Amino acid sequence: MIRRRPFRTLLALVAVLLAALAWQNRAHLQAFPRIIGAYTAKEYCSCRYVMGHPAAYCAAYVEQYLPLSGFFDDPLKRRVTARGLGSSQTAQWLGPRQGCRLLAQAVPLPES
Amino acid sequence: MPVSPLRRLGLALAVVSCAGLARAERWPGAAWPVAEVAPSPAIAALQAYAFPARDEASRSGVRSDALLVIRDGQVVYERYAGPTRADTPHLTWSVSKSLLAAILGVAYGEGRFQLEAPVARYYPAFAAHPQVKVGHLLNWASGLAWQEDYEYAPLKSSVVAMLYTRGRADMAGFAAAHAADAAPGTRFRYSSGDSNVLAAALQGMVGAAAYPDYPWTALFEPLGIRSAVWETDAAGTFVGSSYSYMTARDLARIGLLMQRDGRWGERQLLPRAWVAFNRTPFANYRGQAAQPGEAVPGGHWWLNAELPGAPRPWADAPADTFAALGHWGQALYVLPGAKLVVVRYADDRDGSYRHNQLLKLVLAAFAEQLQP
Repeated sequence: MIRRRPFRTLLALVAVLLAALAWQNRAHLQAFPRIIGAYTAKEYCSCRYVMGHPAAYCAAYVEQYLPLSGFFDDPLKRRVTARGLGSSQTAQWLGPRQGCRLLAQAVPLPES
Repeated sequence: MPVSPLRRLGLALAVVSCAGLARAERWPGAAWPVAEVAPSPAIAALQAYAFPARDEASRSGVRSDALLVIRDGQVVYERYAGPTRADTPHLTWSVSKSLLAAILGVAYGEGRFQLEAPVARYYPAFAAHPQVKVGHLLNWASGLAWQEDYEYAPLKSSVVAMLYTRGRADMAGFAAAHAADAAPGTRFRYSSGDSNVLAAALQGMVGAAAYPDYPWTALFEPLGIRSAVWETDAAGTFVGSSYSYMTARDLARIGLLMQRDGRWGERQLLPRAWVAFNRTPFANYRGQAAQPGEAVPGGHWWLNAELPGAPRPWADAPADTFAALGHWGQALYVLPGAKLVVVRYADDRDGSYRHNQLLKLVLAAFAEQLQP
């Protein structure tokens, strides 16, 4: 069988290995899509509302290689939502000593 | 009872030397005293290294946001760049770890904990690791299988998961859930998880009621620090690993406290033994020849220590130099012998900045000539 279909066997073997690797790292893989939105929302919020930097500076400061598909800064509520890899995340400024923190539930992005 | 003349002389000398000390010693009040220093080629060289033209598009090279030099309690150099100003509470990243250690030092002086005590005594969620002691965490030697890399291994990075995804609701709990892969106290492995477990243990040490204000009541207010922000996770634990903010001038106050062995004016805020522990290399640390320039871990501070068989990490700085260091170039350097404190805030996005080079230029510009 192996001798008759060497490529198919190799492909199947690679697929099995990849599946095993994915299963082994499932917790990491599951969390991965949240990173970009969470990083952007949290660090933008702190840049803007803790350090007090201008919005344009903070937008450049948090920029990563992965693109965002949505971003909304609500200056009245001091609340920042960012969306990337299909996951929205929200950070909220809480007070002068507490700074910003990621919320458990993201606030939906406004319709554009 | 007659007092011997010799003893009387000794007492008189002690009084005189104390008075002399009090006169000579400068401390910041609400503001820092500023000393006028004439421009010099050495200062120009320092400035050229720390503040080259910033390229916001490529974000390459040395990108200092702030550089503040304190000599013997007075500002001798101060400059800001980018949007950072004298009143900006700048993110310190992992400098926070050493600030947490200073706060723990106050609690230590109050007798709230022992270095030899199991962490689980103060943080019950750490019960799965009964052999790990408070001192082990301060040496980043818990033995937990922590993965600190972030930018190059984001998938498996424990730090990224702790700050942004799986661990963010309870960062210390997330760290505590890691398995051990070395015996406690035997192996150095830099870990933001260890630092956040310490931040959670502090709550057990000082009590839940005092905890939310403790960094301020214990350390910031006595030092006159007014700009500090310290973010917490959803469990209310200070993100001791990463998320403290303050102005460069306020961070320099902690530097001066450390330069003067934990004393602030008349008050011994941190026990001298605590500062000595901060400045003692972790006994089981093995310097890696492959990474020259890497400072030696002490008790949640970084040391320019000369270990047997290895040169000191920053060759042009004195061996008594120690520092709090953070991501993207944040640094608080303390040079007790030279009576210098240096705060650097930055946004270094590549690895081109060198601690040794900055310290060499600071020393050339501001170290006082020793009187013969």
